[in-house]
Amino acid sequence: MTDFLSLWADSLPQLLAATVKVTVPLSIIAFVLALVVAVLATAMRLSRIRPLQWLSRFYVWLFRGTPILVQLFIIFYGLPAAGITLSAWTSAIIAFTLNTGAYAAETLRASVQSIPRGQLEAARTLNYTGWQTVRHVIAPQALRIALPPLGNDLIDLVKGTSLVMVITLADVFQVGRQIAATTFQPLALYAEVAVVYLAIFTVLSFLQSRLERVSNRYIRSSRA
Amino acid sequence: MLELNDVSKSFGGTPVLKQVSLQLRGGETTVVLGPSGSGKSTLLRTMNLLEVPESGCLSINGDSVTFGATLTRKQVAAIRRRSAMVFQGYNLFPHETVLENVAMPPVLNGKADRATARARATELLGKVGMDHRLQEYPDNLSGGQQQRVAIARALAVEPDYLLFDEPTSALDPELEAEVIKVMVDLARERRSLVVVTHNIGFARRVADRIVFLADGGIGFDGTPEGFFASDNERIRRYLNVFDAV
Ligand SMILES: Nc1ncnc2c1ncn2[C@@H]1O[C@H](COP(=O)(O)OP(=O)(O)OP(=O)(O)O)[C@@H](O)[C@H]1O
Ligand SMILES: [Mg+2]
Repeated sequence: MTDFLSLWADSLPQLLAATVKVTVPLSIIAFVLALVVAVLATAMRLSRIRPLQWLSRFYVWLFRGTPILVQLFIIFYGLPAAGITLSAWTSAIIAFTLNTGAYAAETLRASVQSIPRGQLEAARTLNYTGWQTVRHVIAPQALRIALPPLGNDLIDLVKGTSLVMVITLADVFQVGRQIAATTFQPLALYAEVAVVYLAIFTVLSFLQSRLERVSNRYIRSSRA
Repeated sequence: MLELNDVSKSFGGTPVLKQVSLQLRGGETTVVLGPSGSGKSTLLRTMNLLEVPESGCLSINGDSVTFGATLTRKQVAAIRRRSAMVFQGYNLFPHETVLENVAMPPVLNGKADRATARARATELLGKVGMDHRLQEYPDNLSGGQQQRVAIARALAVEPDYLLFDEPTSALDPELEAEVIKVMVDLARERRSLVVVTHNIGFARRVADRIVFLADGGIGFDGTPEGFFASDNERIRRYLNVFDAV
């Protein structure tokens, strides 16, 4: 037992370093970019311009329909054959951005479409411009509706980043694997890696519920 | 003056309005009656361009559009500015407080700064008896209260014509009464109201004019006295339904 604990204590700094250097920044960068991509894809999907709708549907279809692992392989190992060589970091950011963006786009589209039509008619009768309707009527409500599923997309993303070791990035999982291999203590190390993920998850779900409470303040059921 | 000329509108090939012409003077309360599906909502929504007919024209106090060709945004905005709609389902913005619901539209229309719009909104909410719930969210209000806020919101954009599409149809009788009272006050102030309703009592007591729609056309256009005394068979049949209740 003391072995176990001292092993955890010895390896923790390296695991935390990998978390702070790879897992967390990759998740944050990819999630922020994914939100931008998702907003664009949603705007295209709900626009009245057919080719843009098709492009958006195609994008979501492609990235939801293939495993992230395959996407990572294509971008990092496949594209060089087509003359496009990207660093492991760039590849990871692109793959996770586009993958999460596709899921987030579906979330946003469903949220926007769940806003009652009457709200949009009210905006029209009040002579709101298209942009004012998006900014003051659609976005605030759609974001509130989208918040819980977007939080889940982020949590999936964080856990999914454990796959970057296949393209040579040393994230928390990869570092844990290396230590497990040299110390011959797979159970201790992988359990420790799991605890790191659980810690991140706990922080995120706490933030998620705080955010939901704030954004739900106008809903009757949350105040009763 | 609100004027419709030879307005025709169909949905999926089925004509709903057939060359309807109508002139509504300002300062009057016009009640639009007619059986379900006769095109009352379509007629009202056309006045605010929530529906765009295939042909005919619409003019309100000097702004006019001709249907058939594509309307520019500017044309639509100019006509829409002249009227505001009160919906059966209220359609308040649930993420805004009562005060914001009424104060934001004039701000976004570039008609007032925030401070002025808030002061004016508070005044309008006082008029409809809702100034004690300024910071409340719509979901926490009764249907009657929400509809009164919606009326204040429509007034806030200073329309020439206020359009009501069955404003009390979703309400219990006692809540209906508080909304009707607000509408009666507006009628007394000689505002220009166009009201689609199944509230025959309101039509009888408050209307300056009754327009009866039937078969996509205007079956009657005249005073309430004339309407309720009419021996036209369609009108009698329509009114009998209410007598029976
Ligand atoms: N958006 C639409 N698409 C297809 N058909 C429509 C649409 N709006 C209205 N209609 C049809 O047009 C006809 C007239 O509808 P409208 O809503 O104007 O009638 P109404 O007199 O307001 O009826 P009600 O008293 O039931 O409200 C109906 O047959 C209706 O089904
Ligand atoms: Mg109707």
